Amino acid sequence: MSAAEALVLRDVRRSFGPTVALDGATCRVRRGTVHALLGENGAGKTTLMNIAFGLVRPDAGDVLVDGAPLHPRSSADAIAAGIGMVHQHFKLVRAFTAAENVALGGHGRFDARAVAERMRRIAGETGLSVDPEARAGDLPVGAQQRLEIVKALAHDARVLILDEPTAVLAPAEGDDLLGWLRRFRDAGGTVVLITHKLREALAVADDLTVLRRGRTVLESARASVDEGAIVRAIAGDDSRDDSRDDSRDEVRHEVRGRAPSTSLAPPAKRSRTAVPTGPAVLALADVGYVDDRGVERLRGATLAVAAGETLGVLGVEGAGQRELLRILAGRLEPTTGTVRRPPRVGFIPEDRLHDALIPELPLHENLALADAGHLRGLIDWGAVVQRTAALIGRFDVRASAPTATADTLSGGNQQKFVVARERAVAVDALVAENPTRGLDLRAAALVRAGISGRDADAEPARAPAVVFYSTDIDEVLAVADRVVVCFSGEVREIPRPADPNDRTPYARAMVGAA
Amino acid sequence: MELLLLPFLEASVRTATPLAFAALGELVTERAGVINLGLEGAIIAGCLGALVGAGVGGPGFGFLGGAAAGTAMAALFALFVITLRTDQIIAGAAITMLGLGLTGTLYRTLYGASGASLSSPTVAPVPLPLLSEIPVVGPALFAQTAPTYALYLLLPLLAWWMHRTHAGLALRATGESADAAVAAGISTTRVRWAAILFGGAMGGLSGATLVLAQVGTFNEGMSAGRGFIAIAIVVLGRWSAWGTAAASLVFGGAFALQYLFQSAGWDVPYPLFLGFPYVLTLSLLALMRGRSAAPEGLAKS
Repeated sequence: MSAAEALVLRDVRRSFGPTVALDGATCRVRRGTVHALLGENGAGKTTLMNIAFGLVRPDAGDVLVDGAPLHPRSSADAIAAGIGMVHQHFKLVRAFTAAENVALGGHGRFDARAVAERMRRIAGETGLSVDPEARAGDLPVGAQQRLEIVKALAHDARVLILDEPTAVLAPAEGDDLLGWLRRFRDAGGTVVLITHKLREALAVADDLTVLRRGRTVLESARASVDEGAIVRAIAGDDSRDDSRDDSRDEVRHEVRGRAPSTSLAPPAKRSRTAVPTGPAVLALADVGYVDDRGVERLRGATLAVAAGETLGVLGVEGAGQRELLRILAGRLEPTTGTVRRPPRVGFIPEDRLHDALIPELPLHENLALADAGHLRGLIDWGAVVQRTAALIGRFDVRASAPTATADTLSGGNQQKFVVARERAVAVDALVAENPTRGLDLRAAALVRAGISGRDADAEPARAPAVVFYSTDIDEVLAVADRVVVCFSGEVREIPRPADPNDRTPYARAMVGAA
Repeated sequence: MELLLLPFLEASVRTATPLAFAALGELVTERAGVINLGLEGAIIAGCLGALVGAGVGGPGFGFLGGAAAGTAMAALFALFVITLRTDQIIAGAAITMLGLGLTGTLYRTLYGASGASLSSPTVAPVPLPLLSEIPVVGPALFAQTAPTYALYLLLPLLAWWMHRTHAGLALRATGESADAAVAAGISTTRVRWAAILFGGAMGGLSGATLVLAQVGTFNEGMSAGRGFIAIAIVVLGRWSAWGTAAASLVFGGAFALQYLFQSAGWDVPYPLFLGFPYVLTLSLLALMRGRSAAPEGLAKS
């Protein structure tokens, strides 16, 4: 409790309706350190930090900043106390300029030139440069994130909380960010890094805290704990039995059962000889795409995917993969060239809450929406509910009932449900766009298994042609038979190197290096 | 030609004044992400408030009474929309109907069952020295009543405030992305209340201007759809203060043209002229493409 701790959250409890999000969570962040906050989806990491930032009020527990109790009534109080937060989904006003976003929340006259000057000074000190005049919504994702950090620094943040900051970044950008966090720490700053990526936490953190089901289960210095212990703390281990109900036993049982595929390392490489070489199901010939604003997004794309084959797609943000995937899935028609698709193509879009699910509707209605454009007549709801129940069982979707609304599910379970729905009908091809974004290791493994169609119940002979895009190179290399890389609108297949774990040729192709 | 042009320009500015009051108020409300279809109700309440106020203490009290009545209607709207989280469109429509009905009833109760026309003290045009002597535009712009001059001062102030103060930023952020505003420590509830009340006061002043500077009396339903036209004006003005003022002038011109046509003595049924501003509203709205300039969070919560 000494003032050597920049931020302390002690024994924090918070419920949302019947859901207990935090059940005695504690996190002590020493000044001048990078502190990793780890845990599965739904473990309460974001809620805990939202409490520190004044966006959520705790039911019980204390928040201490520099040893003094803080009761933030809004984020204005937290900002005044020197806390800054970069949310996973940025809190920027897209129609505002960068300078207006930085100034937001202040008082009195707004002097755009003075703010721009301040931003230039911050850029000089920290290397984080953003054009003050640029409209926030027009900035690439990496620059939006820089802007969020600059916003916090402009309000003199000494404790910077970042929620899954590398989830939206290309690998090189992610490494840059981690490097920057280290420098910020070395200059006396304090960082709380919420992350799923253990490798990231291990690389950069001085201390770490692990939450599981709203409780702190591990607090340790990085140096005095090994990777295995952290993984056990995240997933829950058998020796520390504090289960209170049956569902917990079930979860633990499953973790044990699936442990090999959910370990930190990406799933084992599949044997190359097993690749089926059937006729091409999905094919593009010399496809180009020009968007509404007249920008050429894709040119001369030619590729083919056979049934049972998985084509991996890589590319940094805006390299053309978004359009490529949508053309393959039938959501966009190409401007030039020809495309061949089977009648049914499943699509798992990146933004599940906007493009895949209607959060306010129950799961069974969301299921009924699949293919609704082609169906007519009455719906047998009883049968739909049964089908939903069977699906959520088969794909391990944790929902209170098949009739629960989609927004009551955690992110991982929502994504598992989307996958389940696309796999429920016999699709000939399946296009997945960053399907494990923001998911914890176990949920990600289950989603990958669901997409590949190699789960226990599927017949291998009827496996679809799969196109799999992810921002995580290792993940793509692990699931794909062949890999194409998008760069600046061009799509190029990069042959697998002799060493299957060698990611360098892909990392180079993604940034356009020959 | 000049014989027609001068009165036309003068009438355009005069007719645009109440429209601009209401539209600038609605602009601020919409910038906070709220669409107030109850504006018509605030205007008609402003008309009656002005009549009562002016009866008690002259035109100055009339404007105060109008603003107060408009604010009261807006407060009711805010209570439903912000505190009770009612749908904005339904609450707005209800407030408009309430305003139209309540003012008619109150007027008859206060001033006799016949609702006979009762004249109110009015404000006279005040030609500004020198400025009003500029050829053509001088008399049109600078031989007007006090409310028009108040708008000349308010307009640049409002445009400056929206873009050059933190409070203006907070207003616009609330309408664009309430999430971002909350994360920046802004109380969006407070911002929305203030924006709606301001919009109501401006609607009330719009009604007061109608009574005190133009008609000189109260008639049931005399707001005649100005609240809805003002909402269209905000769209046409692309949610900017200067654009809204310019669009108000276009509609003022349409009303003035209608008077002009009527007085020209052409052998055309006069209801066709009466419909002109409304046809113009529909035509211009059909021409405006998309809502690209609209606050992103408009009417979303």
